[in-house]
Amino acid sequence: MARVELKNLRKEWLGATAAVAGVDLAIEDGAFVAVLGPSGCGKTTTLMMLAGIYQPTSGEITFDGARVNDVEARGRNVGIVFQSYALYPNMSVLDNIMFPLRFKAIERADAERRAREIAALVRVDVLLDRRPSQLSGGQQQRVALARALVKRPHLLLLDEPLSNLDAGLRLTMRTEIRRIQRELGVTTILVTHDQIEATTMADRVVVMNGGRVEQEGAAEDLYERPDTLFVASFIGSPPINLFDGAADGSVLSVHEARIPLAVSASGPIVLGLRPESLQVGEGGTPARVTAAEPMGREVLYTADSAFGVIRFLEAGAEPRHREGDNVPLGFAPESALVFDKASGRRLDVRIAA
Amino acid sequence: MATEHSIAVGTPAARPDWQALARRTWRTRFTGQSALLAFLVVVSVPIILPYFWMVVIAFTARTGGVGSDVLWTACAVIVPAVLVYSLVHMSVASSRLRLATGLILLAITGTLLVALVGERLHLNNFRFLWRADFVEELRSKATSGAQFPSVWRAFFNSLALAVSQTVIILTVASLAGYYISRFAFRGRNAFLQGLLVLHAFPAMTLIIPIFLMLYWIGLLDTIIGVMLVLAAIELPFYVFVMKGFFDGVPWDIEMSAMTDGATRRQAFRLVVLPQVRVGLIAVAVFAFIRAWEEYIFVRTFLIENTNWVMSLYLFWVADDVMGVDYGIVAAVAVFYVLPSLLLYVFCQKYLTQMTIGGIKG
Repeated sequence: MARVELKNLRKEWLGATAAVAGVDLAIEDGAFVAVLGPSGCGKTTTLMMLAGIYQPTSGEITFDGARVNDVEARGRNVGIVFQSYALYPNMSVLDNIMFPLRFKAIERADAERRAREIAALVRVDVLLDRRPSQLSGGQQQRVALARALVKRPHLLLLDEPLSNLDAGLRLTMRTEIRRIQRELGVTTILVTHDQIEATTMADRVVVMNGGRVEQEGAAEDLYERPDTLFVASFIGSPPINLFDGAADGSVLSVHEARIPLAVSASGPIVLGLRPESLQVGEGGTPARVTAAEPMGREVLYTADSAFGVIRFLEAGAEPRHREGDNVPLGFAPESALVFDKASGRRLDVRIAA
Repeated sequence: MATEHSIAVGTPAARPDWQALARRTWRTRFTGQSALLAFLVVVSVPIILPYFWMVVIAFTARTGGVGSDVLWTACAVIVPAVLVYSLVHMSVASSRLRLATGLILLAITGTLLVALVGERLHLNNFRFLWRADFVEELRSKATSGAQFPSVWRAFFNSLALAVSQTVIILTVASLAGYYISRFAFRGRNAFLQGLLVLHAFPAMTLIIPIFLMLYWIGLLDTIIGVMLVLAAIELPFYVFVMKGFFDGVPWDIEMSAMTDGATRRQAFRLVVLPQVRVGLIAVAVFAFIRAWEEYIFVRTFLIENTNWVMSLYLFWVADDVMGVDYGIVAAVAVFYVLPSLLLYVFCQKYLTQMTIGGIKG
């Protein structure tokens, strides 16, 4: 178990832009952190540098304060679960789990006992004689997890571990991985592009984009107080409504709508409204429903309004408004997010009630 | 109304005659399959017949001449049996019944063959295996004067050549293939193209320069010289093949092994190599057989009769202006072809996978 720190970490590939362009991150001992971002944002590259597979171009990685940049992968005592699970097809499940112990000074009987213990923990103890090709995706995933944990790693790295599983299994594995992590108390970093995975499993979420950390914090912070336009648009499903507009002193103009501001501001801005923060109610902006999509316990509507095309959610299984209905659409002033268009940063601008 | 009806798009067609359609499908399939089978039989005749004849001659010919009557008698018995069996194999669904027919046919042909040609069979043509001086019997002592080494000498020379080829090619091709597959280095593409050009280059054109080089180095007329030349000429292709197999092994597995505590070399040995097993077996078999059947280079670079390999032995047995004992030539040929045949039979399932070059998880 270790406290992990990244200081201004960079990775540049020959003749390409930096895959990781200066990442600073501190992960407490025993914490479960999710690194969330779209594909190509540098999250897997960061993970590979932590594992010791890629050498950072510059910057520093420390485990418990000690610099490990020049320590080889095999010396770092890091467990890793790959997206493809990367089980060794030529070995049985037991041999797969015992593989990391081969390189340690451990008696075979002792190693086997440890492998069986960890197999019981991840619930694959009945599969030990099989080959990886005879296992289902979920079972392979568990074996990969057991193999990563058997050497009692300082750090557990999970690279999109759930993305090859079907929806039901993903749900079970999410809770399973969380349970195992709590039981062992191992510092864990999960890399994913799925925000649900990140927010449900991790204590803290780090959002990455273009090789940089956009924001880090608890899931609800990222949702309610996104620092940047990117975080606002990446987190939340269905995605946030974004409207280009301009602030001119005390008035915000978006398309045909004019909104009074509590604090004066000026310049081009982007207004963000979460679909779930919009409500149909007296005194709202008129909007004409163009589509209604039932999603189970709520309905997602698309409507034309003074802001432009807008999406909003309403609780209830059955649509209450139909195509062509005119509804007044309002929102709580504090739920509106205002961003500077040029920098993408959130502005501390309040909308007047 | 009538005009409206005629422009309607989806006029329902007449109900199709499903049975007629099914019959037609069955007919097309049957004629197609029969034509394919007939074609395969016809093209395989010129391949199988010479081998069969070789075996027949080896076991029946006596000094003085070769008759084809045994061949035709045997064919007259075996061909109908094979035809009957293939018909049964195609039309009978039960595997037990097919096996039973096969066994019965085998028994019938066996009995017929023994009855018709049994007394013509003999092993006398194989006496070269235990008598090195059989040539003196055939030709006058003056012309052959202890020219022939024991066949086992040639056999072990061939074996040494083929085994060393296999070992050299396996080692170099797997290491080089792995390196090219995994590492980016300056000139990698040029190297790959170079490999292909080398493979496309007709090696025969080099035979005189190589002869001179071997002479200067002092390796002319040694098995080691031929070994090195053959390995150099064959390697580019096998390096390329092995690179293809390594390309099919996912990176993740290797990275995983290294984070699990293995060194790069251990990861290669414990995790990567087992996954290209099929490729290694295929390369080994082809390298072995290629060296086993080699003729031109050994004919050029090996001179002393103690250095003969099997192909040279066969050549010298057959080479006689005074008339050839085809019985012995055929027997030597059978003896020569046996190891490669056995190798093919045992490794056939791996060889067919070589073209796929894939890795199964």
